Amino acid sequence: MRGQAGRRLLILLFLLLTAFPDAAGADDFDRLRRDASGISSLSADFVQKKSMKILSAPLVSKGKFYYAAPDSIRWEYVKPIRSIVISNQGSTKRYIASGGKMIEDKTGGALAMKIVLDEVAGWMKGKFTANPSFAARVQEGPETQIVLTPTGKNTAGLIEKIEITVSRKDAVVKTVRIVEGAAAETRIDFLHTVVNQTLPPGTFQDIP
Amino acid sequence: MNLRLLLILPLLLASCSSLPEIRPSAVVAGKVIACPSPFVARKTLFIHAVEAAAAGETRAVMIGVTVADPASRTLSCALMSPEGMVLFEASRNPSGTQISRALPPFDEEEFARGLLDDIELIFFEPPEPVDRAGFSDTGRFVCRRRLQGGGWLDVGKDGDGRVQIRRYSKGGTLRRSVALAAGANPYAAIELQASEWIGYSLSMTLVEPEAVLDEALSGK
Repeated sequence: MRGQAGRRLLILLFLLLTAFPDAAGADDFDRLRRDASGISSLSADFVQKKSMKILSAPLVSKGKFYYAAPDSIRWEYVKPIRSIVISNQGSTKRYIASGGKMIEDKTGGALAMKIVLDEVAGWMKGKFTANPSFAARVQEGPETQIVLTPTGKNTAGLIEKIEITVSRKDAVVKTVRIVEGAAAETRIDFLHTVVNQTLPPGTFQDIP
Repeated sequence: MNLRLLLILPLLLASCSSLPEIRPSAVVAGKVIACPSPFVARKTLFIHAVEAAAAGETRAVMIGVTVADPASRTLSCALMSPEGMVLFEASRNPSGTQISRALPPFDEEEFARGLLDDIELIFFEPPEPVDRAGFSDTGRFVCRRRLQGGGWLDVGKDGDGRVQIRRYSKGGTLRRSVALAAGANPYAAIELQASEWIGYSLSMTLVEPEAVLDEALSGK
């Protein structure tokens, strides 16, 4: 029963958060992939704003993001609740603040986050392909914007669209906006992004 | 022999649990003591870090959003992962409960009912009048209500200023115990202990300043 529920959650998470499309403009996506291929490491602060009908003002979360090619990620929230997800060499661990220390989450949340982070690693490499659950189009302007819209009824109603803004200069992801409906959306802005600099030692190591 | 013991054990345990005595008195040193009432007086939004534990082990840490409107006795709540994913969202008013999102493992009807019951216990003053007031054996001043749905509800205040809310079954078994923070904001820290077949505890810490929602301004 619990395993079944976990599988359903994983499938839903996969559809909600990780889907990427067939190329709507193959040249554009090829260019993004080429431009992103020069990124070997990246660090950034992020600010996440969650808007929902129940909230009178967006709930603001803040944290740090680290990436090293090909697929190591540290996604660390410092506010309002401290949590760290580390994905490295095929293993993903999630830590949450409890009783003044960081404890490893053993509830299956790490597995769910692995799916998400694997896809985020794909974004960092400019890979916006291969998931038929969304249709994608590229809008060129001062920045490149990729707009994903659900193609099937599985995600329709849960997600209206996902907008990913990518720097034209170096294909770095600047903003992700997940629109769940008229009254609910999540926007993540990446700030102070540093590319191809040495990351702090132990960035992707387990938290003791 | 063992089987017989097993059969009578629940009876023994039940006989051990009874509603704590209170010595009726609402006057100390000539002063009438008011019943503690930490409950929400205006429509208010709370954002807590919620730590859920069972069998003494932390099971989940989430962000809990609650909007409590005592005038209409309407509750809205959402549970989010620390990363901001909405796992559960529901509202309840006197005419019913509406669940707008419930991802596994929060998709059981029993979970929604239990969660909203707990939130109501924490934030809303019970509609029933105080049946008696006095002091418990531990010296805590307690106001007791007989609940319409059966059972009893005690709201008491410790010497250190912490308000304790305790709900008992009709037979006097303690079902829920809530301890609120001492000081100006009782909802800054909340500890809830559920005594069921599968017991659990919730530890809630306010992570954003609470916000009184002005109906006229918000347009809600």
